[in-house]
Amino acid sequence: MIITPKELNQQKKDLLIVDIRPSKQRNQIPLNGLNSISCESGEVINIQEKKVLVCQYGIVTEGLIIENDLPNTFSLLGGAESWNEFKKEQKDFSQWSRQTVLPEIGIEGQKKILNANVSIVGMGGLGCPAAQSLLIAGIGSLHLIDNDTISLSNLHRQPLFNPEDIDHKKVIVAKKKLSRMNPKANIKITDTLLDEKNAHALLSGSDVIIDATDNIKSRQLIDRISKELNIPMIYGGLYRFEGQVSVFNVNGSPGYAELFPDAPYGGDSCADAGVLGVLPGIIGNIQALEALKLIIGIEPTLIGKILIYDGMDHTAKTIHL
Amino acid sequence: MIKVTIKCFSQVKYALNQNELVLELKNGFRSSDLEKTIRIKAKGQLDNISLRIAINQQYITKNTELKDGDEVAFIPPVQGG
Repeated sequence: MIITPKELNQQKKDLLIVDIRPSKQRNQIPLNGLNSISCESGEVINIQEKKVLVCQYGIVTEGLIIENDLPNTFSLLGGAESWNEFKKEQKDFSQWSRQTVLPEIGIEGQKKILNANVSIVGMGGLGCPAAQSLLIAGIGSLHLIDNDTISLSNLHRQPLFNPEDIDHKKVIVAKKKLSRMNPKANIKITDTLLDEKNAHALLSGSDVIIDATDNIKSRQLIDRISKELNIPMIYGGLYRFEGQVSVFNVNGSPGYAELFPDAPYGGDSCADAGVLGVLPGIIGNIQALEALKLIIGIEPTLIGKILIYDGMDHTAKTIHL
Repeated sequence: MIKVTIKCFSQVKYALNQNELVLELKNGFRSSDLEKTIRIKAKGQLDNISLRIAINQQYITKNTELKDGDEVAFIPPVQGG
């Protein structure tokens, strides 16, 4: 059983708190405002009282409870680190404990994610998975921009939409579904086609722009605005079983115009060329991954590189721009 | 003569019906010559498609002389999303 720091704070009088960390860890990071006993993990099974086990990140204790089938025992989600952060800021980070445990992310990285504002242009095959992954990763504010309605042919690659959503506006349905996944996130929607007149105003204030559009003209527009506003653009494109991803315009790094200068032509849309439904999920998620890396500030990224992924033979080629 | 490997992506792959091909070329063959060769091999299927070129995983913007053992990738724009 799991208990979050917030729940523990409410129920701590009724529970025995057992800190199973080694003494060195307990001394380095004591549990702030929590009366606990210390106990080695091997001895915990002998404690019959209703209890909460605490380790550093909440992973060891979960395993201990499952392995020993311990009754009346909770594992503190996110462990001592999440508890202390909760006491310090009254914010519960335990929902993201499996990613804050990563040394590259930690609580500080999660705070950056929670404070980030990401715009997604296009809520189709790329936009849906990118939005889902960013939202559940904890992105604080998402701005979804699209004027399209849902059609039957969208459903095989746009997992936010169901048959009953057909003919409804994509951004409205997407907001409804996404809000259930993370009710705390601020999801703004704009039921408009991004164009020359509105692009600057709509994208201004974003930390990252996800290009999930389906035509060269829109990509060129986003690239230009991304350069003007100095906001990174995460490009994604699809062709049949293949996808391309790159991170453009980070402090003067190459953008779409540098990759495809002189008014590129050709390249069919999904409607013309076809696309296997799984592929946008892979590419949209790589876009989300790159966005999170930029927000947290971890490297390496796809800045100055284009990744070409082939879903048929699972090869990924990286070309330096 | 020099030998170069061509990596085919997206429309190029479908036009030539292969992921990769190896060509023997005359000394002094340049990237623009190879692009013409690829377009001819595609029998018109790439006529309306822009192609960008990378040599040894490095995107190039200038017409470049090819060397023996080079790996050349042709990258078309993809629109789908």
